[in-house]
Formats: sequence, C-alpha cells, structure tokens
Amino acid sequence: MKKFDIELAVGLFVLAGILCLGYLSVKLGKMEIVGGKGYEIYAIFSNSGGVKEGSNIVIAGVEVGRVKSIVLENYQARIVLSLPREIKIHEDAIASIKTKGLVGEKYIEITPGGSEKVIAPGGKIRETQPSVDLEELISKLVFEKI
Amino acid sequence: MNRIGLAKWLLSLSLTFAMLGIAIAGEPQEQLKQTTDKVLSVLSDPSLKSPNKTKERKGLILKIVDERFDWEEMARRSLSRHWAQRTSEEKKEFVTLIKGLLERVYMDKVEGYSWDKIIYEGERIDGDYATIKVKIYTEKDQTISVEYRTWKKGNQWLVYDFLIEGVGMVNNYRTQFNEIIAKSSYQELIKRLKAKSTQN
Repeated sequence: MKKFDIELAVGLFVLAGILCLGYLSVKLGKMEIVGGKGYEIYAIFSNSGGVKEGSNIVIAGVEVGRVKSIVLENYQARIVLSLPREIKIHEDAIASIKTKGLVGEKYIEITPGGSEKVIAPGGKIRETQPSVDLEELISKLVFEKI
Repeated sequence: MNRIGLAKWLLSLSLTFAMLGIAIAGEPQEQLKQTTDKVLSVLSDPSLKSPNKTKERKGLILKIVDERFDWEEMARRSLSRHWAQRTSEEKKEFVTLIKGLLERVYMDKVEGYSWDKIIYEGERIDGDYATIKVKIYTEKDQTISVEYRTWKKGNQWLVYDFLIEGVGMVNNYRTQFNEIIAKSSYQELIKRLKAKSTQN
C-alpha cells in the first residue's frame, strides 16, 4: 500500500513536470495552439534579407506580430504575417525589412498608412521595401571614389 | 451539347482576354520609358546646354515629369494618417510643398548625372498597380537601381512612389513627417518645408 503511494506521487510529479515543460515550450516558442487570436496577411518582397519564421513585426517600435511563413513565389519572397485582430493595417501601409543595429536580427516594420481601406484577412500589403544591403551600398560608395 | 458550346465560348473568351493581357503588358513600362526618353532628349539638347538656359531646361524637364508623376498621391501617402485631418486648402498647399521638395532634391541629381544608359529590367502588373524596375548606368560605371511604383488613372500609369537602391521615397518622408507632427505640430512641418523651399 505504501509502495503504491510513492509510485503515485512520482507519477503525478512527472506528469506535472511534463505539463510544465509543455507550457514553457509553448510560451517560449510563442506558438499558437488553438487557432490563435489573430489574422494573417501577406506581402511580397524582392529580397527577404534573411527574415525567418517567427521574426518580429513592428509598428512604431512596438512588437505586434510575427512572421508565420516564408516561401519563394515567382522568384520573390512571399511572407505571411500574423497579426492580432485589433490591429488594422491600411491599404497604403508600407512593410519594410529592417535590421536591428548594423548586424542585428532582421524584422519587419510596418509604417501605417492613411487610406480608408483596411486590408482584410488573407489580403496583401502591396507596398513593400526590400532589405537594404549595407555592404553593397558601402561598396558602391567606395568604388565611386576610385 | 449545350454545355460543350458554353465551354468553347468560355475558352475563346478567356483566350481573348489572355491575349489582351499580353497586349496590355508593357504599357506601364512603355509610358515610363517615353517620359524618361523625353527628359534625356532635353538633357542632351545642345541648344539648351549653356548655363543661361538652365532655367528653361529645368522648366522643360519639370513639365515632362509632371505628366508622369501623381503628386497628390505622393503627398497623401507621405502624410498618411494626418492627410484625412487636413482641409482641402491645406492639402493643396501640402501638395505644392512636397512637389517643390522633390524637385529640389532630385532635379540636381537628374541634371548632374552623366547617364550612360538605362536598362528596363521589367515590370510586374497587379490589377491597377504596376512596379517597374530600372537600372541606370552612369559613365563612371556605377549602377543605380530604381523601382517605380505606378497606378493606373484613366489610361495613364502614374508614379506614386519610387525606391532608389531599395530605399523608398514615400516611406522615408512618411517616417520623417510623422515624427515632426508627433513631436510638434502640422504647422511646424509646413514651416520647415517652407523654410527648405526658400533655402536655394
């Protein structure tokens, strides 16, 4: 009887541990288990500049969403953005790929527009700005001087 | 039988549209090319080369560019959220100010560059919007990539934004204007734009 109690306690403990681990991985990975509360829109970039799944989407410096997927379509990068429902993106908003600092991680910044039309879920941000290759720009400056 | 007839009809209809699509494709680029060619012909016109003709030459270039650029749309997009709050007089004033700003910033660049050749790298049409990619080769063997964003108004494709080396004009001004308005006011922005226009 006593042995059974210990086994039960250990079992419960392990179970609790697994649950904690599951909760942690979901929280840390910022995964969505049940559908999520947001919606998705997409944007086509001529150069994704190394943005990854899970990269941040930022408006006015505030993190609002994440990159859901990146696929190559017609030799351009099609990036799906996942945003919370309360954030409306206007039709003339511009999505641009930026770098934190000089060599930091890449993120997508949205500069809000002023159009009356709002992009519906599944819609497209037409205005995009590719990642600027600093190295290329610097080399252009350097070579002009020669 | 009837169904096959309908299918045939639909097929021929879609084929017609597909062919129309091919015929229309190239229109935005063609129109942009015409404008650029006109500007280049003014720049290379020997009778307009002398320094005392500068004003006349600038006026001619402005007139050509005017036909292809949608200044109001540029102004609206640059001001973004703040555009709707302005009265129609303020909007008009702002359009002229932003036109003046762009003229001052880019006119010298257009005039100063020794353009060697311009390569049209193709266009992407998406409904009433089109993107045209252009590579400019200067005589120093330097390349500048420019991307024009156009939209269709009537039968004209008008430029509402352009990216130089991937840096967008509207996005640049939108961020700057928004910052000035957030920090002080719209009146301050107008004051600064006017001060800029009297600088030279």
